[in-house]
Amino acid sequence: LLVVAALAAAGVAGCAHPPPPPVQPWQREYLARRALRFDADPLEDRFRQHWYGAREGADLGFGQPGGGCGCN
Amino acid sequence: LKRAAVCLLALSGALLSRSAVRAEDRVTIRGAYFREPSTRVIQPVVEITKDLPHGVDLNAHYLVDTITSASAAAGTSVDSIFTEIRSEVGLGIGKTWDRTRATLSYKYSAESDYWSHAGWTSLSTTFWGNTATVGAFAGLSRDTVGFNQRTPACAARTGERSCPLNSEFGGIGYTQVLSPVAVAQINVDGAYLDGFLANPYRQVAGIGYEVFPDKRFRTALSARAAYYFPAAETGLQVQYRYYRDFYPGALPTGVSADPWGLTASTVEGRIYHRLSPNLEVRFLYRQYFQQSPAFWCDVPANVGCTPMSVPVSQAYVSSDPAIGPLRTEYPEVKLIWDAASWESIPFFRWFAAGTFEISYGRYFQNNSFGDAHVLQTGYSMPY
Repeated sequence: LLVVAALAAAGVAGCAHPPPPPVQPWQREYLARRALRFDADPLEDRFRQHWYGAREGADLGFGQPGGGCGCN
Repeated sequence: LKRAAVCLLALSGALLSRSAVRAEDRVTIRGAYFREPSTRVIQPVVEITKDLPHGVDLNAHYLVDTITSASAAAGTSVDSIFTEIRSEVGLGIGKTWDRTRATLSYKYSAESDYWSHAGWTSLSTTFWGNTATVGAFAGLSRDTVGFNQRTPACAARTGERSCPLNSEFGGIGYTQVLSPVAVAQINVDGAYLDGFLANPYRQVAGIGYEVFPDKRFRTALSARAAYYFPAAETGLQVQYRYYRDFYPGALPTGVSADPWGLTASTVEGRIYHRLSPNLEVRFLYRQYFQQSPAFWCDVPANVGCTPMSVPVSQAYVSSDPAIGPLRTEYPEVKLIWDAASWESIPFFRWFAAGTFEISYGRYFQNNSFGDAHVLQTGYSMPY
């Protein structure tokens, strides 16, 4: 009974609903900075992946497909 | 009134960001120079993106790898100067709905002894107030490995001087905005490869041409996090990746253990610092550690190793430095400059809307490839 009461109290208090988003639209000023973007340099990423793929044995990891060699 | 002002600011910010998203008609030119003791690569590339009505966008790129000498470590018997060219063209189309984006991409790469077709699709959607993004991609590639000097076993059956290499790949990722100054991401990737996986030219001393298993399953798990310090105008990114591969399915007859088992860990850190309103510097440091697969056997370096499985004539063996025990380090510095200050200068003002970048890095390898200089530069401009 205590458990049911606790769950009901939690539901009334709003715990049963998802929490609000951690960032509101007016708080997004810094999210556009390069430092907070993982896709800021797609062409550089492509070059680096090709080079690492030719010189290291472990390809993959950040959502880029393969294709092509140029491995000399 | 204060609340109304905040709402107005938020709305104008949203409109500005939306107009910025719509203004993705952009052209980027870029060049990279990679120089090892015996290998030099120059790679110019141009990419164009174009926004169309109804949330559709297109992109296309063309690049050329000009390899101005070959590395002895890569298997050529004589380290003679020559010029080899790899051309690559890529096309992509994307469609964005309110919170969901889908893309379809194709890439073709061609050189004198290697041709590759790759196609893939991706789907991502945001939720929880646009602070969370889930994405997935999947695709396949169909490669052809050509042989200028010999006819390997895989080609002997067909009578052609080439062998196929097919792969299917895919992955999922999750990105979460944790706070106005913090973002985190995790990715899981995998790829199944089936076909000729070795280098057609490389030979193992005293044994002959290297022989790779005909199948490989590659897996990678990665995590990234970024944090921004507004007062210092400085951002920090860190990432870690773990990689492991294995032979998929039942082992071939005569092979008693997984010939793969290559494992690797990568750690990378980046520091972004704004030096002025239009100039940013980025410091990058990357370390990569790799353990070789079971069939790797560099006889000169390790006299005791033997080809894996019997008979020896068909055994897996490789001395490829790229899959041997390896540690690489890569420090780099990069400058990114928004050319807005050129707006009042005749002629140069045409480039004022764009961004220039230049970077230099040193790639340290503890194998026979030696260390490399890496110079990259580029310019990107909306049109």
